[in-house]
Amino acid sequence: MTFDWMKIPYALLTLFIVLNYGLLLTALIQKIGARAGRRHGIPIWQNYVDLLKNYALRTHITHGVMYYLGPVFRLSGGVGLLLFVPSIYGSEMFSNLSFAGDLILALYFIFFGTLGMALGAGESGHPHAAIGVSRGLSQVTAAELPLALAVFSVALQYQTLSVTDIVAAQQGGVAHWTVVTNPLAVAAAMLSFLGSMMRPPFDVVLAPQEIPIGPPTEYHSSYLALMQTNRAIFPVAKMVIYMNLFFGGATSWPVFFVKVFLLYLFSAFVGVVFPRFRVEQSIRWFLIWAVPIGIAAILIV
Amino acid sequence: MVSPLHILAVGLGAAFFLGLLNHGARVLAYVVTVVALLAMTAIGGQWLWAFVVAGAAPVTIMTAGAPPPFAINLRMGLPEAVLVEIVTLVGLLSAVYMREALMRLGHRAMAVFLVVVMALSGLILTRDVFNLFVFFELIAIATGGLVLLSDDPRALGAGFKYLVVSQVVSMLMLIGIVFVYHASGSLNLDDMTGTPVAAAGGAAALAFFLLFVALVIELKPFPANGWALDVYQAAHPGFSAIFSAGSSTAALWALDKVIGIGGTPWLPIAAAVGLVTFVGSNLVALSQTDDRRLLGYSSVAQIGLVLTVIGLRDLLGDRYLMIGGGILIAHAVAKAGLFWISGLVASRELSAWAALRRDPFMIFAFATFVAMLAGLPPFPGFYAKWELVHALVADGRHAVVAAILVGALLEAGYLFRWFGRALKAPLPDETVQPPVGAVAVVALTALGGWAVAYGWGEASRYGNLLTVVPLMFALAFLVLEWLPAWIKNTVAILGLVAGFVVAYPHFDPMQMIFGAIILLGGAVIFIASYTFAHGRRVGFYPSAMLMYAGLAMLIVAKDTFSFFAAWEVLTVGSYFLILRGKESEPHALSYIVFSLGGAFAILAGFALAAQTTATFPVEGLKQVAATHAPWVFLLLAAGFMTKTAALGVHIWLPGAHAEAETDVSPMVSGVLLKAGLFGLFVLVMHLGRQSLFGVDLTHAMLWIGAGSALIGNLMAAFQEDAKRLLAYSSIGQMGYAVFGIALMNNLGWLMAMMFVINHYIYKSSLFLSVGGVAKRTGTREMYRMGGLITLMPLSFVAVLVSIIAMSGVPPLSGFGGRWIFYNAIMDSDARLPMAVIFLSGPIAFLYLFRLIHTIFLGQLKDEHRRVKEAPIWLIIPQMMYVAFLIGFAIFPGLALRRVDDFIGRFMPEHGLNWTGQTITSAYGYWNPVAIMIIVAVIFVVLFLWLVFLNHRAQMVKQFNIVFAAERPYRPETTHFAWNFFAPYKRAVGFLAEPWFERFWQAQMDTLHGTARFARRFYTGNGQVYAVQVIAFVVVVYLAALGGRP
Amino acid sequence: MITVALVTGFALVLAGLYGALTNRNILRMIVSFTVADAGVNLVLVAVGAMPGRTAPILDAAVPVGDAARRIIDPLPQALVLTAIVIGLGVTALMLAYAYRLHATRGSLDISKFTELKW
Repeated sequence: MTFDWMKIPYALLTLFIVLNYGLLLTALIQKIGARAGRRHGIPIWQNYVDLLKNYALRTHITHGVMYYLGPVFRLSGGVGLLLFVPSIYGSEMFSNLSFAGDLILALYFIFFGTLGMALGAGESGHPHAAIGVSRGLSQVTAAELPLALAVFSVALQYQTLSVTDIVAAQQGGVAHWTVVTNPLAVAAAMLSFLGSMMRPPFDVVLAPQEIPIGPPTEYHSSYLALMQTNRAIFPVAKMVIYMNLFFGGATSWPVFFVKVFLLYLFSAFVGVVFPRFRVEQSIRWFLIWAVPIGIAAILIV
Repeated sequence: MVSPLHILAVGLGAAFFLGLLNHGARVLAYVVTVVALLAMTAIGGQWLWAFVVAGAAPVTIMTAGAPPPFAINLRMGLPEAVLVEIVTLVGLLSAVYMREALMRLGHRAMAVFLVVVMALSGLILTRDVFNLFVFFELIAIATGGLVLLSDDPRALGAGFKYLVVSQVVSMLMLIGIVFVYHASGSLNLDDMTGTPVAAAGGAAALAFFLLFVALVIELKPFPANGWALDVYQAAHPGFSAIFSAGSSTAALWALDKVIGIGGTPWLPIAAAVGLVTFVGSNLVALSQTDDRRLLGYSSVAQIGLVLTVIGLRDLLGDRYLMIGGGILIAHAVAKAGLFWISGLVASRELSAWAALRRDPFMIFAFATFVAMLAGLPPFPGFYAKWELVHALVADGRHAVVAAILVGALLEAGYLFRWFGRALKAPLPDETVQPPVGAVAVVALTALGGWAVAYGWGEASRYGNLLTVVPLMFALAFLVLEWLPAWIKNTVAILGLVAGFVVAYPHFDPMQMIFGAIILLGGAVIFIASYTFAHGRRVGFYPSAMLMYAGLAMLIVAKDTFSFFAAWEVLTVGSYFLILRGKESEPHALSYIVFSLGGAFAILAGFALAAQTTATFPVEGLKQVAATHAPWVFLLLAAGFMTKTAALGVHIWLPGAHAEAETDVSPMVSGVLLKAGLFGLFVLVMHLGRQSLFGVDLTHAMLWIGAGSALIGNLMAAFQEDAKRLLAYSSIGQMGYAVFGIALMNNLGWLMAMMFVINHYIYKSSLFLSVGGVAKRTGTREMYRMGGLITLMPLSFVAVLVSIIAMSGVPPLSGFGGRWIFYNAIMDSDARLPMAVIFLSGPIAFLYLFRLIHTIFLGQLKDEHRRVKEAPIWLIIPQMMYVAFLIGFAIFPGLALRRVDDFIGRFMPEHGLNWTGQTITSAYGYWNPVAIMIIVAVIFVVLFLWLVFLNHRAQMVKQFNIVFAAERPYRPETTHFAWNFFAPYKRAVGFLAEPWFERFWQAQMDTLHGTARFARRFYTGNGQVYAVQVIAFVVVVYLAALGGRP
Repeated sequence: MITVALVTGFALVLAGLYGALTNRNILRMIVSFTVADAGVNLVLVAVGAMPGRTAPILDAAVPVGDAARRIIDPLPQALVLTAIVIGLGVTALMLAYAYRLHATRGSLDISKFTELKW
């Protein structure tokens, strides 16, 4: 096999851009959310501060091998997801490592980090971590479903599973975007999107504000730093998929930044408006409202 | 050649001689009895030899120096020789068996005993209708006398009831005979058969009816048979054996002879009575708790089946004797054997047969007899069942087939329930030291059963199943049972590997995959069996090898007969295997009942496809007429999907797999389930799409597959028991595979093949890991475990790799299956079932995470602090699986490429392109090597970075966690494990309600309720029984009138 | 004459059966059966009867060549004889049962011997 070694520095460049963008974006969205709640919010560089601080902290604590590997799994999942999908349409430089596999690879690789982190959190022995995993997994089974249906609908629509080909099919103006040509699929996918962004009303999994719960409960210092790095990369990587499948992809970085920001803003917008669901409520909500739309999408396409 | 007349002469002469002896000469009397029986057996045997080996022609023997009709004549042909041999052999063995009772009762009892055997032989041989009556009366009187031999005080009442009814019967018969004589002018059967009197109509028909119905009543037709059941129950088991195996056999032949007089109009009546008896008796037998009465019901039922065959003899033509004889001989050997065993058991409830466990050979005998009665291969009943169903279906008698199969299923149900109870009930306290002679008789009978099986196989036109190499290899383990288990284990492994090496060049790619899983995969699982190879491990190896033999025979089966035989062999082997688990009795029963039900569907399907040919090459399914094809598809698919535990018929699986022994679970899950998939493959490859009433059957299969995937996964997520979790997961995984097959496109089949391989590996690995953990911790409840990762690291690694593979997360091999799946459904138009299968996909994460988390992560329990890693022999296969999962993930083409080519022969469009390292389909692409490298590089880089940042980390103590400034002390309360997915259960728990369990339970309750209600018909009052007999006569007469204008 | 015998025979059979099925006392049942047996035998004889013929004894009165026309059919009579003997045997056995039942159970009521049922 011939491998173009230049792909590696290019991929690292993508990673670098996305990391910085992700750090700024998450802080910005948090700030917007705070302002909507009449709070002042964090400074825009807060994530850099946190990250540097945590990388600098030293710890002597580990709860075991899986605990140690958990953050590695988590970040590998985020980085891998980002690199398996082309970032910029038409750019050989930013097509990343998408030669390895198509859309299905990306969809299933999402779970790589989730699974590894859940395992690491499990070994910490903290019941709150396990409770968080239990809630998260329960919710994700329902929340991912509309997305899976939507993706399949899109794949049927364009008769391909290649992300590049799907983006290519949407070129030539907004009228060609999937959101116009297959609105049902996009509607289902966007509802699913809400469930995966860890914002209200679907954020009981982490319950970030009031109680320490969820997989990161026992993680600290450099472990947490790795996870925070992922927290910057992973949502962007996921939104890249959304952007590529439903919103015409991006032909340049500015378009990329804008589309990802708007996508993120959508979940923040819903998040500040609605109160929190319990897990069983959110499962029912997805099954009752989002899944039928997804089914309609694959039936009609 | 000694004239058959001497059978009667010896019997009668010896009986008279015994009468002359004085009371003290018991030993002499006994010797005379046995010698006389030996002589009778020898004469019969000599004739049998002459007909079977030398091919002699039937002979007619004159008496009194005059030709018929002026004197009685006898006929000796092949059927007569066989039946006489049965009767005399049973008599001889019973005499040996009853030595104590006969010695105690003295020479007169022995004389009566001889008279019974003599009269039974005479009944078979004679060609004179009045002579029939005389022999019947002799039998009745002698039976009445012999019933008195029993130790059971209730036998007196039973004998009297029997005499009352036989009085009624003899009146009917006598009046019938004299009027038949009046009409035909002869008592000779051959004369009368020449000019059927029933054709004359009117009084002659009535006369024949009386004779006919009297003979039918001698066969104890349901429900006019309470009198006979009491005899079965109360008589000495040695005599019950004769009553069951001998009397019924002779009476059946008598009816067969006489029915010719009446001609064809009477055949349907006989068939109907037989069918009602077969189904009715088996139904009522369901609620029996007394072993001998149960055997009585079963006897009556079997005789009813043969009566049906007699009634169908016009239809069956030259196969008539083979079918009727097969059922009858299997019945005679098995029933005699079982009655004899019952004499070795102290008390009469079914669970008392647990006492047999003290002697493994008795269990072997019991199993042999049960298999013979249930018509399982390689016994004669199996060949007969095959022929009978084919002949009936070819003639369009579907309702009759359905009734017979339902009856047979009922019978198998109570027989196997009984067998399971004998193996699992606690050993009774009271012990009987069985007489050596009695044990020898049972042993001889069991071996005789196998000899008959061999003989029948030789005579059958399908070839002898007992000479099929895999089956011989499996049965050889019965002979090797005395060896230590580790030697047998090694032999088993070598045998499986050798089998693969020998068969390898003849496999096509699909057989190759299945063959590798069955033979090589089976050998790998056997490595784990070294863990349990202490002592001799009696019963394990024959059962396991029987299953493997069946599987090996299945994949190479060329024609439908050998396919079906293999199917039954693997079913019965796996049943014995599953039954070995400690708590597995009810589950093994449910398994065998569902499996046999499925097997009957397959049998009916093959028969429907075959029409007039009895067996045909499996490829011949292509040529099935369009009118039958959908039904064939339906029946076969139902049968195969029972094995894959598709939704609706899945309820047997969780218990059967979970309660099985540690090394058996992977055998029955990883390997056995594939038999159903193989069958489905064969079905769809040759029969293609079929529609019934406008419903595309493969579309229905899609729904069933999707439903199985959903419900299986969902149920797995809610299990607390680790092995039950894995078992439910198998239902889900098989659902995916069925879905793939039903997609009816190239990639769907490839995906199913991928599931075949993957499911074998990860499910075997997981069952072994979980089995090892359960062995060490002493529980299968996951919430009782926790934190075992440091104590059992290798088991953890095996589970980790397996669950990653199963969940489909890249880079392990499960992803390949998912990728092919998505490409496959792109080609299909069935969108709605896809939504269901999408729904079930993520649920797998729930149970997989739960499995690894609650066992290996979280808090270690105090009682497990000293737990060691699983035994090395359990770990070795797991590590092999781990290596294979990773290897298969990188090079899926090794196995799949050739299968893809093979499938391409059936489905040329939309295959995969395997050029280079990237696998491409019409829609997407996938590069397993690149994925593996990329993921590994990212992972290693990040890991090294973390090590760089944090290389001084040390393990902290268990409770050193951030716990609201408190220190938890109890791992039990800190380990979040029980009801792990409580929110999920609240949201969708209604889907996991056991609807299907309730449905099947309701069916069972209905059957048992009907049985309990129906058996009240047998009030125990002799007069009521007599009235029932008379009512039966009237009903049959009215039915006969209704049948003829 | 034959008709009368036939009717009587069947009447006896029915009467005997009726008696055997309605009397609970075992001895009465046995007696009823003998009545029925007699009826059956009567029927047999009646069926075999040929008015105006002679006994089937081949002697000077009945030359062999003429026999087939002049003697009656001997077979039904032979059957009757056999049937009587058998009937005797069965009756004896039933009586033996009655004796044993009375000795061991102290009763002759058939409805009491229902411990074996269902």
